[in-house]
Amino acid sequence: MTGRMDLISKERDRLLQRSARVYGLSFTAVSAVCFGLPGSVPANALLVGLPLYVVLAGALVAIGVSRMIWWPLLALASGLGIVLTVALEPSPPTPAASLAIVQVAAAGIASLALVLTTSLARIALLALGALLTVGAVVLAELAEPASALRAGGTVIVGWALATLIAVWISAGVPQVAKRIASIGRAHRAERQASELEAQRRQGARLLHDTVLATLTLLAHSGVGVKPEALRQQAADDAQLLRQLRLGQSPAGPAEAGAAPATAVDDTVLGTTLESVKQRFGRMGLKVSWHGTGQVLLPSDVLDAFLLALAECLENVRRHSGVTEAHVTITDDATTVRALVTDAGVGFDIDDIDDAKLGFAESVVGRLREVGGNARLFSAPGSGTTVALEVPRG
Amino acid sequence: MSKTDTITFSQPEENTLGVVVGNARRAVSTTARRLGRAASAHRASLGTAFLGLGAAIIVGLRAVYGVIWFVGHWDAYPEPLAALSAWIVLATVLVAAIVMSRVSGDRLPDWMFGLFLAGLATAFALDIIAIWDLQDVGGHATAALTAGMALLALVALRGAIELLAASGVLAIALAAVMFFDAPVGAFEDSAWIATQVTALAGAVLPPVIGVVIVESFRRMVQVELDRVLVQSTVSAPRFAVGMLASEELARLDLAAEELLQAVATKKTNLPLTPKNASVAAQLATELRLHLIEGRRETWLYHAVSESEQLGKSVTLSDKSSLAGLLDPTQRDGLLSAAWLLVADVPSAANPRRRGTTRTVNIQIGPVTPGDAPVPDHKIAIPITITSTGVPRNRVDSGVWDAFSRIGRYSDSTQDASLRVDIECIVDNPADQ
Repeated sequence: MTGRMDLISKERDRLLQRSARVYGLSFTAVSAVCFGLPGSVPANALLVGLPLYVVLAGALVAIGVSRMIWWPLLALASGLGIVLTVALEPSPPTPAASLAIVQVAAAGIASLALVLTTSLARIALLALGALLTVGAVVLAELAEPASALRAGGTVIVGWALATLIAVWISAGVPQVAKRIASIGRAHRAERQASELEAQRRQGARLLHDTVLATLTLLAHSGVGVKPEALRQQAADDAQLLRQLRLGQSPAGPAEAGAAPATAVDDTVLGTTLESVKQRFGRMGLKVSWHGTGQVLLPSDVLDAFLLALAECLENVRRHSGVTEAHVTITDDATTVRALVTDAGVGFDIDDIDDAKLGFAESVVGRLREVGGNARLFSAPGSGTTVALEVPRG
Repeated sequence: MSKTDTITFSQPEENTLGVVVGNARRAVSTTARRLGRAASAHRASLGTAFLGLGAAIIVGLRAVYGVIWFVGHWDAYPEPLAALSAWIVLATVLVAAIVMSRVSGDRLPDWMFGLFLAGLATAFALDIIAIWDLQDVGGHATAALTAGMALLALVALRGAIELLAASGVLAIALAAVMFFDAPVGAFEDSAWIATQVTALAGAVLPPVIGVVIVESFRRMVQVELDRVLVQSTVSAPRFAVGMLASEELARLDLAAEELLQAVATKKTNLPLTPKNASVAAQLATELRLHLIEGRRETWLYHAVSESEQLGKSVTLSDKSSLAGLLDPTQRDGLLSAAWLLVADVPSAANPRRRGTTRTVNIQIGPVTPGDAPVPDHKIAIPITITSTGVPRNRVDSGVWDAFSRIGRYSDSTQDASLRVDIECIVDNPADQ
């Protein structure tokens, strides 16, 4: 993860740059005020010094956004220039001028130390800068040894303090990066767990299919279904959801006492077909079963197959106008087929764009996911037939 | 989302085969983002304790220097005992605050902050009384100036606004005292003015600078956290549910279970009231949405929608969900590139200017066969990244490295927008 370390060190550099900018600019401003007070420095020194303050401020602003080494160099040069303007005056500096050069030397340009600790070349520049600054300040105060000593000492403390802040912040960043990385690891585990849990719940398709069918009935206030049948259906579904919640994975609306269908890899079609039949029976659609019931299917194929079948039967129940549907199951060496037939009102296939969309989405789509297919045949007045097929796995 | 929320929805558009139109998905991703934000705000204090310790050390050094200076000038004080009591008060509140912060963790309680401020005010007043007759507050104040700097010690423990306000009040008080205690002719005396300005700056600037640094640090941590949390999508499967999606599904399952249970146990009468029927319909709608649509999104969609930073400025168009085919290295490259393009904002220190600065559009696909020679069992996915508000010379150099991890790329600039075309070679899903 070198990339991530690169990114965090970039963030660290940006933080140090911004800190150097606010630190340097604020003390440079204070120094400029002292420098510019009437009587603080002679007029010619003022003419040289004030533009240098502008350059220094500009360089500090640039340091806030740019990592180029030229900006600290420019800032250092202009800061030293300010100190030298005072130092090169023939008369000793006034108290205000002394304060101005100490401010700029011990804080204004000492703030550069914040961006000068990250590489050997920069550290060398830091040492050189500190040395030159102390030298310039001492030179300015040379007339009075005591104040030279005090000013030089203050500047050394200023540079040391700024360096310490830089080191301290730089030490804090890897610490926090480590903690963030461990939060990241925990989050990844959480994401995986969440993914697995969602898969488990989404995998329980048959269960959700029957729950959805019941909910849809309830959404239509249960019209057309006997209340006892609906209550029974609701109780069954609630029981299944409870099992799912408690960590079991029921694959279908198995009757009480029947083993959950996913407990084994392959499941006999007949047992689950029977439960679909019972469910629709309770809702007022008689399903007649024809053909073989003893077909073994892998559980995901079985899920898709039963889901598609149930969707078709639900459509018959809702739209056909009849109360009976026929399901014919046939199988050969490679494929299992189901024909869902009703003798209801039928419809013109070209008229059902929306329903076709739904048909494609939930029936064809899911069958194709397991390698199967579905086709729809209907005409007004002559009933509807849906052919479903899935591979035997 | 509670059941009362659900009830307020209108009857959803649905047909018997479960096709749903609506904006439930948008609602879900907003919820996810909001929860994510709350969690990250809670973690904002990460790492600032260490900075706070550094600040406390600096304040301690300043206090030691102040005490030495004060003792050295004892004879010059008109009221040395007042200054001494100022130092005793100041030392007491400082030690108490630092000890309490070490004990109580990352926040100083309000009442303690109040006591701390009262202590600083007392020390300030006592010190000013001690030196009033000297008529040079800036030149002789010690405890009063250290009291200003003492706010720096709380930089990790209290909010930026509170500290800046306290610092501002102290600055005004100090300036007022200096003004009213000025000797005759002081305002023509550059030495006197310079001394006052220096003293004022030394008392006020350190906490202000400290607040700025700690705020920058917090923002850095925030950005880094956001990135690390989103980084976990790199190892996600081709299609994935986002974080919270399974919680959402579990919640819906539970709501359905409760509803069905209520029907089964005759707590709810049949036929259902229109209100309850619409609850059932809404539940069915949301469940379908989660079951049918839930797995159609790629890791990149989740990364963008879960990230506060990326979500603000990245738009994604990936109609065929091709992003899911990228391998982890390519994903990491794409995510890093997006990060560097949006997060590398120079004006990040200024929150008001954020958001308007940069946008990034990631367009993945469509695949056009036969464009370029591709190894067996591989396909080439064209990825186009367009970003606005990023001048070519301001692009972080790391971006190019990130692009090259995705695939062969070429870039062009027009107006203020950068356009990068990448040819990303991935395993052909048809061969798997």
